[in-house]
Amino acid sequence: MNMLIVTGWGWSEMLWVALISICLVFFVLVLLVFIMKLFGFVFTRRAAAAAPAGAPAVVQGQLHEEEIAAIATALKLYRGALHDRESEVLTIMNIKRAYSPWNSKIHSLTQLPDKK
Amino acid sequence: MYTLTSSSDFVSDSLLKFVESTGIAGFFTSMGWGSVAMICVAFFLLYLAIRHKFEPLLLFTIAFGMLLTNLPGANLYHTELFADGHVHWDIFVANAGLLDYLYLGVKLGIYPCLIFVGVGAMTDFGPLIANPKSFLLGAAAQIGIFVTFLGAFALGFSPAQAGSIGIIGGADGPTAIYLTSMLAPELLGPIAVAAYSYMALVPVIQPPIMRALTTQKERAIKMRMLRPVSKLERILFPIIIAVIISLLLPSAAPLIGCLMLGNLMKECGVVDRLSKTVQNELMNIVVIFLGLTVGATATAEAFLNFRTLGILVLGVLAFAMGTASGVLLAKLMNLFSKEGNKINPLIGSAGVSAVPMAARVSQTEGVKADPSNYLLMHAMGPNVAGVVGSAVAAGILLSFLG
Repeated sequence: MNMLIVTGWGWSEMLWVALISICLVFFVLVLLVFIMKLFGFVFTRRAAAAAPAGAPAVVQGQLHEEEIAAIATALKLYRGALHDRESEVLTIMNIKRAYSPWNSKIHSLTQLPDKK
Repeated sequence: MYTLTSSSDFVSDSLLKFVESTGIAGFFTSMGWGSVAMICVAFFLLYLAIRHKFEPLLLFTIAFGMLLTNLPGANLYHTELFADGHVHWDIFVANAGLLDYLYLGVKLGIYPCLIFVGVGAMTDFGPLIANPKSFLLGAAAQIGIFVTFLGAFALGFSPAQAGSIGIIGGADGPTAIYLTSMLAPELLGPIAVAAYSYMALVPVIQPPIMRALTTQKERAIKMRMLRPVSKLERILFPIIIAVIISLLLPSAAPLIGCLMLGNLMKECGVVDRLSKTVQNELMNIVVIFLGLTVGATATAEAFLNFRTLGILVLGVLAFAMGTASGVLLAKLMNLFSKEGNKINPLIGSAGVSAVPMAARVSQTEGVKADPSNYLLMHAMGPNVAGVVGSAVAAGILLSFLG
């Protein structure tokens, strides 16, 4: 087993690569934070401008426990009422009687003489 | 004309040749014990996937690929066709087995990217758009990757191998496979098994670390409700992220580009058929091919050595450090946040990708501290930021070590 492959890289190169890589990950993602913040600022202002004048501002807050419980119960009842079991009543919608001389009534009866 | 003696010789020779050609005879060769051991490992992984449902979609297929490749004489996969990190096209067609052909999708970096299209189409980036600070938690959780990178080097792995081992800490299977297939294909089997095993073990690995680093009061912090995100924001987000990251880090473009392509398909609402296809049919087909071929790389020669043991130990350390750094950064951010804007540090651990398992762990731990605390949507922000962060980290490692 030859685990150590000679690459010319020592500890100083490895430490620099690790440090630069961590900094780069943070740099890219912090840049995205700023871009998305700007993005959110623009869109919330657009939404505020689009709202009718004099309309009360919508305040987003944490839902109260009772409200969460009520929503959960409503969802549970709704899901419970959903059709998850068949009614077990079969309704025959259509009966097709295929014609055959073997089940034909006219052929099974004695024909009356034609008086013409 | 055959005499009786020559006929009996012919029959015995033929029978001997037949016996030697069977796989059973392969068990009695020099590496036969290795095949037996690997078949036992494959059975164990199949047991974990089927009985305990440990990441079954991938662990199941990986285990079966491992089983097939270690059956002596089956010749489904040949390591020599991919020796020295590149495909030997000159001998490929004459010697390749079924799994060799399928493995080209891994070798050429196709399957992980296709999986990312499906992941993108299944991911809701809404919580991340509503709370961009989550990107910081996603970045912090990547620290484990680079610490493990140094740890692997200390254990004697080459820089390229160390980078591939470190990426296990990103808890992102396709990213780990993509980077390893580019940097250290000889370690693909052990790294894929370690990455997916630890992702399945997120509910076991993370909670003790989260509890050790937080107080009861911190775990009970209730976060402010996220603002609603408009459809236009959801459509622009993948386009902007794909452009910015691809310009800054071209090596991360395949992963991020595919992730954002899938997400745009979902959010734009005009290509529903494509979105459903990448979420279901395409994703399932690629998962089968990816799992089988990654499992096939776990041959006895590649798997049964001390390197595998080192990878398994380093992998769990990478996970643990990623979790810890996410939680600690959330605590640090709280020092500078106003009352009412505080972050529950439990969501920091979700920065280690593993979507959505890590977010669920944050939710479960939050509910234990306060049954009325709902952290799931807040944790989804760092969770999807972790996917972006690990792809960025992979791109950086690829540009330095590739």
